[in-house]
Amino acid sequence: MIKKLIAVVLVCMLALVSVACSSGSKTPSSDANENTSSNNESESTPSENGSSEGESSGDPAFMKFPKPVDVHIGMSVSPVDKTLPPGDSAQDNQYTRYLRENFNINVIVDWTAAEGENYNQKVSLAIASGDLPDGLVVNDRTYMVRAAKSGLLYDITDLFEKYASKQVKEIMASTQGRAMENASYNGRMVSLPNITVDTDGIYVMMIRKDWLDKLNLPVPKTLSDIEKTAKAFIENKMAGEHTIGIVGPDKNGRPYSTFLRSSNNRFGFDPVFQAMDAYPGYWLDDGTGKVVYGTLTENTKKTLELLARWYKEGIIDPELGTRDSSAEVVNANQAGIFFGPWWSIGYGNGDSFKNDPNANWQAYPVYSDDGKWNVRMKTVGTMYTLISKKASEDVAKAIIIMNNVLVRDEGIFDTSVAISWYPLRNVMAPADECEYEYKELWKILRGEADPEDYNIPGNPYKLMYSDAKAIKNVVKPADPNSEMLNVQDFDQTDFGKFQRFYSLLIGNRPYATITPDKKVYSVTYNQTETMERKWANLQKLEDEAILKIILGQEPISSFDEFVEKWKAQGGDEITAEVQAEYDKKNK
Amino acid sequence: MKGKRGNVEKHYYLMVLPGLVWLFLFSIVPMVGIVMAFQDYNPGLGIFGSEWIGLENFRYLMQLDDSKQVIINTLIISSGKIVLNLLVPLIFALLLNEVTQLQYKKLVQTIVYLPHFISWVIMASIVINIFGYRGAINTIRSWFGLEPRLFMADPSIFRQLVIGTDVWKSFGFNAVIFLAALTSINPNLYEAATIDGANRWQKTRYVTLPELRPTIVLLGVLGLGNILNAGFDQVYNLYNPLVYSTGDILDTWIYRLGLTNLQFSLATAAGLFKSVVSFVLITISYVLAYKFADYKIF
Repeated sequence: MIKKLIAVVLVCMLALVSVACSSGSKTPSSDANENTSSNNESESTPSENGSSEGESSGDPAFMKFPKPVDVHIGMSVSPVDKTLPPGDSAQDNQYTRYLRENFNINVIVDWTAAEGENYNQKVSLAIASGDLPDGLVVNDRTYMVRAAKSGLLYDITDLFEKYASKQVKEIMASTQGRAMENASYNGRMVSLPNITVDTDGIYVMMIRKDWLDKLNLPVPKTLSDIEKTAKAFIENKMAGEHTIGIVGPDKNGRPYSTFLRSSNNRFGFDPVFQAMDAYPGYWLDDGTGKVVYGTLTENTKKTLELLARWYKEGIIDPELGTRDSSAEVVNANQAGIFFGPWWSIGYGNGDSFKNDPNANWQAYPVYSDDGKWNVRMKTVGTMYTLISKKASEDVAKAIIIMNNVLVRDEGIFDTSVAISWYPLRNVMAPADECEYEYKELWKILRGEADPEDYNIPGNPYKLMYSDAKAIKNVVKPADPNSEMLNVQDFDQTDFGKFQRFYSLLIGNRPYATITPDKKVYSVTYNQTETMERKWANLQKLEDEAILKIILGQEPISSFDEFVEKWKAQGGDEITAEVQAEYDKKNK
Repeated sequence: MKGKRGNVEKHYYLMVLPGLVWLFLFSIVPMVGIVMAFQDYNPGLGIFGSEWIGLENFRYLMQLDDSKQVIINTLIISSGKIVLNLLVPLIFALLLNEVTQLQYKKLVQTIVYLPHFISWVIMASIVINIFGYRGAINTIRSWFGLEPRLFMADPSIFRQLVIGTDVWKSFGFNAVIFLAALTSINPNLYEAATIDGANRWQKTRYVTLPELRPTIVLLGVLGLGNILNAGFDQVYNLYNPLVYSTGDILDTWIYRLGLTNLQFSLATAAGLFKSVVSFVLITISYVLAYKFADYKIF
């Protein structure tokens, strides 16, 4: 009898192999928002702390609850962060205490997961089980839509109107309604969107200027210049035997950004595509109102042909697409050129300077052969704070207030504790924050402005004042009139500040000082109905085909086969959907 | 008589109980979730409220080009692993058994045993480094004037790489079972063989191998249960889009469907499909084992 029972049980167990999958972990590629405005931002003084509190009494956006309100959250944490003082935790640190003391908001962390893939998995499971904590930040709109569609989210349309601070509303308004549109489902606001700086999606060329100087070469402007320069770097063994000309995406990276992930694509070839007037991964208007998918265009094909040739000639990293981490190569100073957004030098390659304090990384646009700088523009933001439908009204209010507080007070917290410990942190920054800071910081460096000029409470450019106070200690330009800083013009003692200013003043220089000739937006940055089902398959098809062509595993002629396949496996259907949405919008 | 035996063994039933409770809670209860495969699952409504759509998910799965490729990949990789994970440890155990110097034997056994305990997350990094463009293998190739090869991006060798590294990682551990079986062989048999004038090879052929047969069959049958498990941890940490065509397996595919793309119902359908196929294969292998080796588990 028992034998039989065991048999039945065993059989059942074997039959149930895996309904849900087991977990695996991957190192997350560097998270953008971490880099754009994370650690080391500013110093706090107690007096400021006090003053901002005083001002806000009576404003519903900063009201103190009469009774403590418990807010349960799920939280993404960095496994390598060491900034929490001993005894503090995700649930009990300076930020949560600040919220408890000033607003009676009591944060309870239900679960934590390591940032990146692990966290996404956890979010995915939370949605799948229909069991969301009160508040949760998700990294992708797909999660938000999925949760909204399932009726798991709190409709905050009215609460937001009433309780969001003026500052938050101003930043939202600066996107011309795009942020609100993203945060809504069926016309109701169901999440708090993040709003990140435009320059997170502007890709430029990062190059070792000191290598150029050593070889007496000019700064390359066009693709053929870049080709020659990269060849020169390799031939002259600038980093020894294994010098890499141009770094490419690693195994978690992408050769170009896409409409779903339109920003912060480091080590992609976006500027190369753009210089050929190609915008793969974006939905484009072909000029007549007809929607085409950018990957399928003739220009994309031509660019792929070029990249394949570069790869064959050894100009691009031979380990493209399989490398564990491309950042390692840059940090080890083995490479001369890579492409990325403004923070890729400074924030993104700190170790490069630690290994060689004279590594003079500079950022420049890549021009087309007729001298045009084309850029693709990102969507407003990709992260969303979700509020569970099961949350009480007070809890929903509390989460909106937590966001107000973050936007208002981020500049005054003690930054020795990483700001990522702020519960439900979701960045809201004016789209032009980096360019604004670039211009104002230069005014200070030239002596045209005084740091105290920026002491404006409620300024949406929330880091401006603290940056203004610090800039002169870190940046000492040899020639204040040229704006062409070199690494030697920086004091690296306060390394966090050094990284921030390096990104702001050098990485961001192209976009802050040069107006692009053409700005390309995707027709949509969101998924349509059919995409939810079929996009994953198409994306896989695309990733595989593109990488194989670049690596020379397939000839360029296979591109046409890929296009046919893509169309047949749902691409045509999806294009028609995007077209319909586009037509509706243009009416 | 029977009743009496039942009484005597009561405490054994009690000892089995915790295991059965565990099994019930973690393996039987979650099986209810299988219904998701036949629904358009909506987390807000849960598995009791979601709309039923019959076999729609399965129909769509079968339409996908991927599904066939993924099943083929899974079968090739896992059968390679099953066969080699049986043969290599067996040969290794036989060889090690012939080593007379005890200390050396223990040392080797410990060293080959170690990789088993390293997680694939770490192991994958090591493998990627060894087979990397400037890794050990390519350095050796360069001594013979060969061009470096990008192993990790080459679909034509990815499966071999997966199978090979898995065998390398686990053969030491698997050999332990054979070594244990070897010690239980009655020494009289060897003595008798020696008297009959058998040499070492003949002893292995006519004494050791027949004595090991039940163990080999047992491990083989148990291994067949894993025919559709080609090793999620390993493949997930080693693959990249370039080798999807030969390296993408059912588990990684289901993972991407379910957790990355939030296609819960579709992923469940794929999981259920996998379970059903596994179940059929296990049944067949069980029958075969009984037929050819006269071996029964239950």
